[in-house]
Amino acid sequence: MSNAPADRSALGSVRNWIANIGRIPRLVIGALLASMFVGAMINVLMPGTRPATVAGIFNVSFVESTLRISVPIVFAGLGGIFAEKSGVINIGLEGLLIISAFTAVAVTHLLGGDAQSAVWIGLFAGVLASTFLALVFAVLVIEFRADQIIAGLAIWLVGLGLGPFLSIVIWGSVNSASISTLNTVTVPGLSQIPVLGPIIFDASPIVILMLVTIVVSWFVLNHTSFGRWIEASGENPSSLDTAGVNVHRVRYVGVVLSGVLSGFGGAGLVVGRAGRFIGSGQTMIAGDGFIAITTYLFGNYNPLGTAAAGILFAGLDALQIRLQQIAFIPAPSELIRLVPYVSVIIVLAFVGYTRIPSEVGEHYESGEE
Amino acid sequence: MSDRQYPAPVQRFFRFFVGNSVVERILISIAALITAVIVSSLIVLAAGYLSGEAYNPLEIFAVLVNGAFGSPFDLDSARLFTEGWSPVNFSMGTTLKETTLLIFAGLAVAVAFRGDLFNIGVQGQLVLGGLAAALALVWVAPFVPGGLVGSLLLIPFGLLVGAIVGGLYGAIPGALKAYADANEVITTIMLNTIATGTAFFLVSAYFADPTLQSVKTKAIPDVARLNGIIFPQGGQFSLVALVLALLATVGVYYVLRYTSFGYDLRVSGKQAKAALYGGANAERMVVSTMSLSGALGGIAGAMWSMMVIGAWRQGVPSIGFDGITVSVLAGNNPIGVIPASLLFGVLKGGSNAINFQLGVPPELVAVLRGMIILFIAMPEAFRMLGNRLGIKPSQAAVTGGGGDE
Repeated sequence: MSNAPADRSALGSVRNWIANIGRIPRLVIGALLASMFVGAMINVLMPGTRPATVAGIFNVSFVESTLRISVPIVFAGLGGIFAEKSGVINIGLEGLLIISAFTAVAVTHLLGGDAQSAVWIGLFAGVLASTFLALVFAVLVIEFRADQIIAGLAIWLVGLGLGPFLSIVIWGSVNSASISTLNTVTVPGLSQIPVLGPIIFDASPIVILMLVTIVVSWFVLNHTSFGRWIEASGENPSSLDTAGVNVHRVRYVGVVLSGVLSGFGGAGLVVGRAGRFIGSGQTMIAGDGFIAITTYLFGNYNPLGTAAAGILFAGLDALQIRLQQIAFIPAPSELIRLVPYVSVIIVLAFVGYTRIPSEVGEHYESGEE
Repeated sequence: MSDRQYPAPVQRFFRFFVGNSVVERILISIAALITAVIVSSLIVLAAGYLSGEAYNPLEIFAVLVNGAFGSPFDLDSARLFTEGWSPVNFSMGTTLKETTLLIFAGLAVAVAFRGDLFNIGVQGQLVLGGLAAALALVWVAPFVPGGLVGSLLLIPFGLLVGAIVGGLYGAIPGALKAYADANEVITTIMLNTIATGTAFFLVSAYFADPTLQSVKTKAIPDVARLNGIIFPQGGQFSLVALVLALLATVGVYYVLRYTSFGYDLRVSGKQAKAALYGGANAERMVVSTMSLSGALGGIAGAMWSMMVIGAWRQGVPSIGFDGITVSVLAGNNPIGVIPASLLFGVLKGGSNAINFQLGVPPELVAVLRGMIILFIAMPEAFRMLGNRLGIKPSQAAVTGGGGDE
């Protein structure tokens, strides 16, 4: 966030966000930063010891894998903000992630599966599929006044049904064949910066896109009139109506944006990292869409806070994978894997009620009917 | 409190189904079903095109329904009926087995919905209830006499353990909602994953049958199992279980309709303030509703362990999620849960037939499930269509769904 014009307000917003994020998240993030610092110190002061082995987990490659894991959660979380701020809770983010992941793999596969161009086309096909499903959801809740929770649930179940079914049709198994992933983008010069260089300037294009999207979402929501419309549409739609802005149209855009962003999340997961679609059980998405909902409640609808929460959950996941590789840590991997889920519940129990936009879930009918 | 978090959709949903005539409710469910079948047929056609095989949707649905009952109709020849067909057959057993489990899971979701709570956590309650029942029966069975006496003692005991554990696990999101204002939709989804992970860990670390490679408990002794009486032993279906499921349906209907607890539950779902003035403790109501819901889910899990598997093993099927579909299709009416469960039982029972006879992946059923919910979610569309076709909505429908306050 070193771009000059937004710098001052960005800093102010970060301060603002830290102030209104709530006590528990602040503690969690503080503890994480502190433990990273302590870890670094241990590593420097007593190399080769067991504490140093544990501390050695927190290196550049740990941050890189955290960012890669966070892709679906962060994108879906950002998308969820646009939908819910506009007054439509999109509980179907999970389904959007599944359908985009599947479509990206399927299209890439049908185009040969190897060429970089095919992978890029697959990415955008995935985004398109997710956007279309989100549009169906929008028509349902805005045009046909469907119950938002039930309709969102339906979107999830449609994704959960279609992904594995079509996988079997194409590959004869709920799991797909492998496809290539996107090549890493290296920015000459900047990638030589210590620590930050390899993380940001020598990374998967999806990760770079995610970091850019976080900042753009924050800017759009806080510094454009469209951002104010989205907010008014969720908080006080009749005033927006009075101001001459079509509430339905704003909500359509909010929901469709949640589809576009979730599409980058799901498709980005497969073309950036996984290279295949896994459709067994709850599919490879495995609840990331629901965790995304928690991240924006956690981040109080602020894209920066939401992304931080998403990266935090992804970090727990990355940590869990690494702890499994250290022989002398006795904790069973099945339990460590549950840490993100348990922490969501603890956070919700302490933070409890997040102030959601007042008109979320309410159908809005302008007076002219 | 309960009208602060996502209240409107659930409340409007509730108001819609309660305010409308039963007839309209049924019509909308049927219209949604038909639309779901049509759209799924189009998907099947597209899928057939994609895979290079010519799928015929009409044939698929005919084989699906026919297969679910053990093929009473002879679809391949001019004869109408299959020779030698008997209602007691393996496929019929599978269909009724699924129906039985879905009745309990559907009731669990419906009870919560009636109290304005969305219990997506039935799956987790079911997993832990099933595990607890299996473990308890493995431990207790050696101390109980065999024969009919043993069965009469052990089967209710197993179901009770399942109900208690499921109920306690359901109480957690209830208490979080009541006392910490944590949204139950999110907490129950998280608790599902936690339940599955914890059960997997417990069994693999402590309770696994050492003679097996898989994550599976020791077998429940035969005396404590719900075995087939009329249906074949290997069919994993017991008529006793189905009768229990029907009794539970009547029981839930009675409790909701004729007891003061049921009254408080329904009123706190519909009108939280009114319930408060009526003397109901809103917080406790939320916890008890979720506990009752979880207990029904726990029984579904115990049934799965005691009837289907004869132990607990990892990879519990998604009965809890299907319960949501059943409840939504039934308009959250306990009696409606029976036909809705039968419908999904048929879909599951027939999914093997379409796989074996036509080579269509049984996962098609999950597509249908999604489509059904999708169209059930849009009653307004069918009402608009109905108006255009000249079917006037009933008076109750106008006050219930149309003009909100």
